[in-house]
Amino acid sequence: MNSPAIRVSGLKKNFGASEIIRGVDLDIQRGERHAIIGPNGAGKSTLFHLISARLPVTAGAIELKGENVVGLKPFEIARRGLSRSFQITNIFHNLSVFENLRCAVLWSLGYRYSFWQRLSGLKDARQRAEAVMEEIGLSRRRDTPAGILSYAEQRALEIGITIASGADVILLDEPTAGMSNTETEEAVAMIRRVTEGKTLVMVEHDMGVVFGLADRISVLVYGQIIATDAPAAIRCNAAVQEAYLGTSLHSGIAS
Amino acid sequence: MNSVIFPRGRLLLWGGGLALAIALPLLFKSGFMVSLLCQMGIMVVFALSYNMLLGQTGLLSFGHAVYYGLGAFITMHTLNLIGKDGSPLLVALLPLVGGLAGMLAGVVLGYVTTKKAGTTFAMISLGIGELVAACALMFPGFFGGEGGVSGNRVIGKESFLGFTWGPQVEMYGLIVLWAFLATVAMFALTQTPLGRMANAVRDNPERAEFVGYDTQRVRYLMLILSGLFAGIAGGLTALNYEIVTAETLNAHTSGVVLLMTFVGGIGFFYGPIIGAILITVMQIVIGGLTHAWLLYFGLFFLFMVLMAPGGIASLIAVQHKLWQAGLLGRMLPHYLATALPTLVLLAGLVGLIEMGYALLAGEGVGAGDTATKVMGMEMQLNAPGPWAAALGVAALGLALTRWIGGRTRVAWNATLSTLHGDKA
Amino acid sequence: MEFVVISLLNGITYGLLLFMLSSGLTLIFSMMGILNFAHASFYMLGAYFAYQISTWIGFWPGLLVAPLLVGAVGAAVERYGLRRAHRFGHVAELLFTFGLAFLVEEIVHLIWGKVAVDYRIPEELDGTLFSLFDTDFPIYKGFMMLISVGMLVALYALLTRTRIGLIIQAALTKPDMVEALGHNVPRIFMLVFGGGTALAGLAGVIGGNAFVTEPGMAAAVGSIVFVVVVVGGLGSLGGAFVASLLIGCIQTFSVAMTLSITDVFAVVGIALPEGSQVARLTITQLAPVLPYMLMVAILIFRPRGLMGARES
Repeated sequence: MNSPAIRVSGLKKNFGASEIIRGVDLDIQRGERHAIIGPNGAGKSTLFHLISARLPVTAGAIELKGENVVGLKPFEIARRGLSRSFQITNIFHNLSVFENLRCAVLWSLGYRYSFWQRLSGLKDARQRAEAVMEEIGLSRRRDTPAGILSYAEQRALEIGITIASGADVILLDEPTAGMSNTETEEAVAMIRRVTEGKTLVMVEHDMGVVFGLADRISVLVYGQIIATDAPAAIRCNAAVQEAYLGTSLHSGIAS
Repeated sequence: MNSVIFPRGRLLLWGGGLALAIALPLLFKSGFMVSLLCQMGIMVVFALSYNMLLGQTGLLSFGHAVYYGLGAFITMHTLNLIGKDGSPLLVALLPLVGGLAGMLAGVVLGYVTTKKAGTTFAMISLGIGELVAACALMFPGFFGGEGGVSGNRVIGKESFLGFTWGPQVEMYGLIVLWAFLATVAMFALTQTPLGRMANAVRDNPERAEFVGYDTQRVRYLMLILSGLFAGIAGGLTALNYEIVTAETLNAHTSGVVLLMTFVGGIGFFYGPIIGAILITVMQIVIGGLTHAWLLYFGLFFLFMVLMAPGGIASLIAVQHKLWQAGLLGRMLPHYLATALPTLVLLAGLVGLIEMGYALLAGEGVGAGDTATKVMGMEMQLNAPGPWAAALGVAALGLALTRWIGGRTRVAWNATLSTLHGDKA
Repeated sequence: MEFVVISLLNGITYGLLLFMLSSGLTLIFSMMGILNFAHASFYMLGAYFAYQISTWIGFWPGLLVAPLLVGAVGAAVERYGLRRAHRFGHVAELLFTFGLAFLVEEIVHLIWGKVAVDYRIPEELDGTLFSLFDTDFPIYKGFMMLISVGMLVALYALLTRTRIGLIIQAALTKPDMVEALGHNVPRIFMLVFGGGTALAGLAGVIGGNAFVTEPGMAAAVGSIVFVVVVVGGLGSLGGAFVASLLIGCIQTFSVAMTLSITDVFAVVGIALPEGSQVARLTITQLAPVLPYMLMVAILIFRPRGLMGARES
């Protein structure tokens, strides 16, 4: 338990001539719920893409549980216990809800590329998928193709796929984007439930969600982290208030 | 809810299919029918192996004949190699040799092709296909040049359980056996972790990577396995025709298997079976009736791409759903009403095409003929009458089809919304 | 020396012809995400149209009319076929163009028969442009080069000097952006498809009589053009240009070389065992497979292609 879950140091990312991530240092402790906030275009999603290897790093280091992961492929990072969700729903559209979740658990249960075992005989995979389905509240929709679920249901499935593998480091990219208030409340409760005992990093715009869920908050502005602290301290941080110009943060403080 | 190991319906379907396949040559004893059935059996395996790529993994290949053809050549060479020392039992096992050859080809060629997916894969598969086809012409020693490689499937002095594989009907038995085993194996594969992950990679390769799967590896493995079954089909072809030419591994054969699979329906396991049977019959029956059959074939394919991209299997599946919901009865009169003007349109088009072919294409028909028989009617090609008549029939058919088709579409949409409404 | 110069000139002529095809293919692919499988079919149509027109009113009108006709056919195909297939996704589009290639070949069979037609070089262009040592360089090859380079300049001017050209160029690198900016995309698609196929048609007009006009010409050229596009890098016009010339030269040089593999290895100092079939092959015999081998090598060592920007 000595090395942090994620340690990012001196991380940079250029797209052509423009620098999007300009030297980020960030330590995420094991077991904490960490939110990354910041104005649009600050590079929050890009930071996630770098950590999960969806995009190649320009410079800097990323360690996952003490191991360097720069240069690894997404599936290699996933196998090391980091799982992520996407801002734009990223599910297996033609497969049923149950199959979506079963696909997400197969690797972690060690079935790899097996073509000699019958899926229906894999009791552990079925039970795990069903348990996750219960947790995200989609048991009713077990055999519905994921592509025709409602938006909120797809978002729930997105989180379900992310946590199904049992990864201990979870990255959620705007899990409540586009949801109504009621849906958001349900989603927050669900996220709290399913990430119990795990390391959670999330990008979120809804300040209610952020301040309600996070143990610590980092503020990313123009590709740099200007503050990392407990929610209460972030509220009073002058630099943060300046970056936000008192707009959206106010509503967060008010709530 | 809980999964039964062998659902009775499925068992019944497989058993019924097998029984039908065995019974068919007893019903149709003519040699022509038996050869047709043999060809169908082989094509079913080939098309199913193709759908492992297209339908299950989302890989559109333009070079699948390579695995089929190499399987056929290796089988033929092995047959000639064992020659006099062989026995009918060994011959019966030869398709497995073809399968291993196809698999090996998959291991080598797939390493290059499956690095990419999507459009790039399609182009590369075409290039690799051309490469192998060009090699076939460069190495006449192995591929037999223009004449191909031939052999004799009847070897050894004794029979195996009374079989020598000499009579075509015995060969058919062997094909049914292999086709059944291969089909069961390919279906079983769809129900394994690899098979399911292939679907996942088809749907969303990015997400598959983020749940821990190397999509390139999934594609590679699926291609290798698909090569195995294509090779088995190739081995059966070698035994069935006792000759293998470079034609078996060229772009034309790759195109035909793609057409069969697509027309049958790539979204369902049984789709390619329908496609293989239908297209084989069309090839032989329509091919025997008219020289323009390839043109009809192309038109039919384009029609399917534009009107029913899910193939025949998806059309069946929708009707089945309607039937279950008790709505099929509502649509039947509309189907019949549309069929009539469509037939008129077809008659007009066929007349035009046949007359055009007779007048222009020549070769075999006699170029510049002044008269031809279309649907039993003698047509004078140098007179405007028949042309105007055919054009008129086609135009009438088109107008009627559009008119009635429009009403059918309205009814169709209404029925569909009732169907979905019931569900929600 | 003369061998090198003449082969190089032939190679460039052929390479430029390939570029007329691959540039249209690249533009269509970059704009619309469609790999036009039937692209070489339009090349074939260009040759046949030009042949037909030349029998009626001569070669020169055909040079202009045939490509326009092919472009019109292309635009109609986009408008009434592809646009519909587009709704069903990329695989349906690809299959549509695949079926189209099949159909065009059959229609050519129907109208012009299964054997080559007598599409000849016009008398004015029949002759020798210059002689190098003992080898003649025909006027027509020079004419082909002239047309190709003229087309190249026109295309360049269109892409860099006109509004629509700028939009097309933007689509090469940022296809999503152009769509997001709300240009009349369907109209541009039809234009690009028509333009690309017209280019292929023009290539057919000048290539059909230089080589041979027969129903198999589409399939023969088609796969080579795909190789060009993969080698050059999908979506890269510059890459398509370099790869076209490269493959044009490889093909003309290899056809003209009578060295066998054994000879080649002997130059490097390796003696191959006598008698094996591989060792006795000459470079000329290898010529048909060389482009594909180049493609495989590129895929293994530089999967993006020579100048491609996009990964897959």
